[in-house]
Amino acid sequence: MGIILNMSDAIILFSHGSVLCGAGQNLAELAARMQARGDAAMVEVGYLNYSEPRFGETVRSCVARGATEIIVVPYFLVAGKFVKEDLPQCIANAERAYPNVKMRVAEAVRFHPALADALLACAERAQAPAAWRDTKAQAAAFCRASKRCPLYGSNDCPATRASEMVV
Amino acid sequence: MKDAMLVMVHGSPRPIANTDMFAVVDVVRERGVYPIVEVGFMECNEPSIPQAIDRCVEQGAQRVIAVPYFLHTGMHVTDDLPNLLDQAQAQYPEVQFLMGDYLGHDPLLADVILERAKQVEA
Repeated sequence: MGIILNMSDAIILFSHGSVLCGAGQNLAELAARMQARGDAAMVEVGYLNYSEPRFGETVRSCVARGATEIIVVPYFLVAGKFVKEDLPQCIANAERAYPNVKMRVAEAVRFHPALADALLACAERAQAPAAWRDTKAQAAAFCRASKRCPLYGSNDCPATRASEMVV
Repeated sequence: MKDAMLVMVHGSPRPIANTDMFAVVDVVRERGVYPIVEVGFMECNEPSIPQAIDRCVEQGAQRVIAVPYFLHTGMHVTDDLPNLLDQAQAQYPEVQFLMGDYLGHDPLLADVILERAKQVEA
């Protein structure tokens, strides 16, 4: 059939990365869920910018754990510059470092009818104004006290809020 | 109660980047769950989110369910979109505004990703 993934394969979700603390939490959970249900022996996230682990580090860790075939899925809605220019550069670097590892790049998220169902399910979970900023609390829960985080220095940042209390 | 679904999209300087999203929204319309389905852009493209909300209200929406067409939680989902909805609520006090979950948070994304992986494997 050719549609069953070889269990030695790894799937790497390639994402941009964010300065906001906790922004990667959802994607980490998505990868863990895919790995737990057996989509591939390893399902990991690799970032282009800002967030850890960077793509090259993710490849290194998958190869160290025995991956010989890696499928990279761009976790982007649209295949723009990051997917068309930056990702091929990352792939070329990885192929130079691991010439015996076969790497393939899948399509970005783009169009899929399941996205319509996902959107409708998101609407089902709609909430009143009091809950609209709950994701900010999620960012605070994963605070790394990063000065680049847009919450740093605001009342929403646990690190800077705490230091104000000390002063 | 007449519901409208408002799909809140980032927008792109290259309008062709919105083609796939419009195709997804067409499928949402075909599903027939919401009598009104509008798209509003945060940046670059029209209609803007406030303009799209106007359209919902003009069509008689009593409740607007606004869903972020975003894969990630960032400052847009956390702050910018709620601010726009707060303004809309102040402008239209008789309309109820709800904000949906963001697209990337839905478990169905795992199936889409897996299918992308299988397509390149085949």
